Amino acid sequence: VSRETRRVVVTGVGVLCPLGDSPAAVHAALVAGESGLAPVAAFATDGLPCRLAGEVKDFAPARYLGEANFRPLDRTARLAAVAAHLAFADAGLPAAARGEREVGLVLGTMFGSVHTISEFDRRALTAGPNYAKPMDFANSVINAAAGQTAIWHDLRGVNTTITGGSTAGVQALGYAADLVRSGRVETVLAGGADELCFESFLGYARTGQLCGAAGGEGCPVPFDARRNGFALGEGAALLLLEEAGAARARGARIRAEIAGQGSAYDPTRGADAGTALARAVRLALGGAGLAPGRVDAVAAGANGSVAGDRQEAAGIAAALGAAAAAVPVTAVKASLGEGLGVSGALSAAALLGSMEGGTLPGIAGLGEVEEGFPLPGATAAPHPVDLRHGLVTAIGLDGAAAALLLARWEP
Amino acid sequence: MGRRVVVTGIGAVTPVGTGREETWENLLAGRCGTGPVESFDTSAYPVHQGAEVKGFRPADHLVILDPAAIGRASQLAAAAARLALADAGLDPGEVEPERAGVAMGTTSGEPQEVEVFDDHYVADDLAAVGPEFMTRYPCHVIAGCVAAETGFAGVNVMIPTACAAGNYAIAYAFDALAWDRAEVMLAGGADCFSRITYTGFARLGAIAPDVCRPFDKNRQGMIPGEGAAVLVLEPLERALARGAPIYAEVAGYGLSCDAHHMTGAHPEGAGAARAMQQALATSGLTPADVSYISAHGTGTPVNDRLEAAAVHRVFGERARRTPMSSIKSMIGHTMGAASAIEAAVCALAVAQDRVPPTIHFEEFDPECEIDPVPNQAREIPVEAAMNNAYAFGGNNASVIFRKVRR
Repeated sequence: VSRETRRVVVTGVGVLCPLGDSPAAVHAALVAGESGLAPVAAFATDGLPCRLAGEVKDFAPARYLGEANFRPLDRTARLAAVAAHLAFADAGLPAAARGEREVGLVLGTMFGSVHTISEFDRRALTAGPNYAKPMDFANSVINAAAGQTAIWHDLRGVNTTITGGSTAGVQALGYAADLVRSGRVETVLAGGADELCFESFLGYARTGQLCGAAGGEGCPVPFDARRNGFALGEGAALLLLEEAGAARARGARIRAEIAGQGSAYDPTRGADAGTALARAVRLALGGAGLAPGRVDAVAAGANGSVAGDRQEAAGIAAALGAAAAAVPVTAVKASLGEGLGVSGALSAAALLGSMEGGTLPGIAGLGEVEEGFPLPGATAAPHPVDLRHGLVTAIGLDGAAAALLLARWEP
Repeated sequence: MGRRVVVTGIGAVTPVGTGREETWENLLAGRCGTGPVESFDTSAYPVHQGAEVKGFRPADHLVILDPAAIGRASQLAAAAARLALADAGLDPGEVEPERAGVAMGTTSGEPQEVEVFDDHYVADDLAAVGPEFMTRYPCHVIAGCVAAETGFAGVNVMIPTACAAGNYAIAYAFDALAWDRAEVMLAGGADCFSRITYTGFARLGAIAPDVCRPFDKNRQGMIPGEGAAVLVLEPLERALARGAPIYAEVAGYGLSCDAHHMTGAHPEGAGAARAMQQALATSGLTPADVSYISAHGTGTPVNDRLEAAAVHRVFGERARRTPMSSIKSMIGHTMGAASAIEAAVCALAVAQDRVPPTIHFEEFDPECEIDPVPNQAREIPVEAAMNNAYAFGGNNASVIFRKVRR
């Protein structure tokens, strides 16, 4: 089997996000138009211009992984380790069934844990460097969640981390698919994880990118004319990717195929990200030899950013051409917030749910769009879809763009 | 079989020099770039040595970026990228920007930016935190700055796989070219000197009190450092067509994970051995073909011993006589930049049949039964060079460079 003929399939999905911990429950909640956004509970937001975020509430790793010592894992690592567990379970590939199989992990993340890093440094500053915690230092590397997840689940294959804001998860899925397609790995978990923490929340409050930062009520609704920034989110989502032949040989339920991917960069670091996204989408479609008109749905990474959403819509429209006028579009950050590294994998999971359930979620809370908005298929109401080809898109906060093409499995 | 990939340009900013030539000649000469830390006060620490890049003036290199607007790791990376393009004789304007990409590795990204945040935090002055925290800190800005400086608008990826990150980035770029996702790639790694990193390694008791002496019986630890290296990678056909200088071919790579411990290596070196074996297999080479190994060689008592054991596992009795040096003896451990700088060393060793020494070497350690190229560079035929790197998270990466054979 060569790179030309080897196919990459999704056989398991694990999600932990503000709307739940099972793909089916999350899909149902998204279709129902529910929102996981609420005033932040994890830390005080006094004096900050935004209080809204999407949190994974009452997260208890023991519920999934059994009673164990979770102290060596910070929140990002716990989220990732649980998402891996859920993906394996969904794929019918628990530890006992994995045996000696070498499983890889490609994790997208923005920060790893900037909270862990900052806390380690602050303790050294206040108590003296001799009192900094070695365990926190181990987790201060940005690949800590991937390393901890590998230890937890004995993942001895390729283990890598990709960082890059909200494109990281899409890039991680694309890279993992390439690793399978080229025969370097047979089985790999890919997706992303990021935690909500005070440090990043304050940081984004200071850039003015959080919803409501410029005053008034926060409106993090993607593509809405009233939008005024994003709400942060958090979570972990991992897809289990396998080479199609190997997946069939073990009798796996194949949920979809990863048919193409593309990524690109805007060297102005953000002014022209839409053009970069259009290139990424064309690469994703080109890789699969798919005409734009055959894209049945788009899961956009739009998050409520005034400029970013406009760029993303323009990029999608430019790449899809005439087909942009008819294609149904969703944007799950309306309900989940800007989960950074996890967001691309959550978009992919939403498309998988729509592929199986026949309904693409609407964009919760979407009212009027701007004049000239080029994607009329972006609506508050869900769309019935016969989803054979779904496109995930994402642009970063400073110039990155990535796209992933999912296809219904047809042997 | 994908397209063959070669190294056509090398840019580096290290504790022993700026640019390929200065860095390489100083490494061959065995110059030591470590010394007392100057960038922050270490009086509260039990150790005081570091490997800082001294006298680096980013404005001498950067054409597009304003050095004042970006963090130090981004400055180092963008400067190394400029140097690499110049070394490759490649005018960014000659390259189709959409087919030109960037893959960079790092351990900590821009840790100095979070250190500023932490200073404000402990001073109870969070009002002083401005927008620059989030515009300068997230580590993918390093790859972004390289793209901004060069105009490269294709694939752009930041791989923070800690102290093996440079090799991961090179592996990513190698695949991107082999699979025709790009026509030219800048690949490397960067890290800046960091209080956080220094504190962490000091707390692990891993920092040497005086100098770094990898594989020496009396080694006492590593020396944290900073730097950046960027390689220009392109398909062999393209390099030949434009008459580019070719240092070496990237023959193959192996990546694996110990899945054992966050900061300690696997006791039997199983993961490291798997990475080396995969690198050999994908390169179509055997241990007998490898003329030089660039060791991870941090200089800590345990790591060097386990690394030597892993090499024995793969190379058998050849492990004793295959030259295997650690330039960390000279430039310290430059974190995410380390394996990128070491990759440059491997490419140069292949190109020039010279290998750099492990300096400060005094006493052979029977637990590290290797040839560390003690104190003096050597002229030997280098058909292929293996670059080994190991990281927190149990991440192992080996990349092999070889002479171009047609």
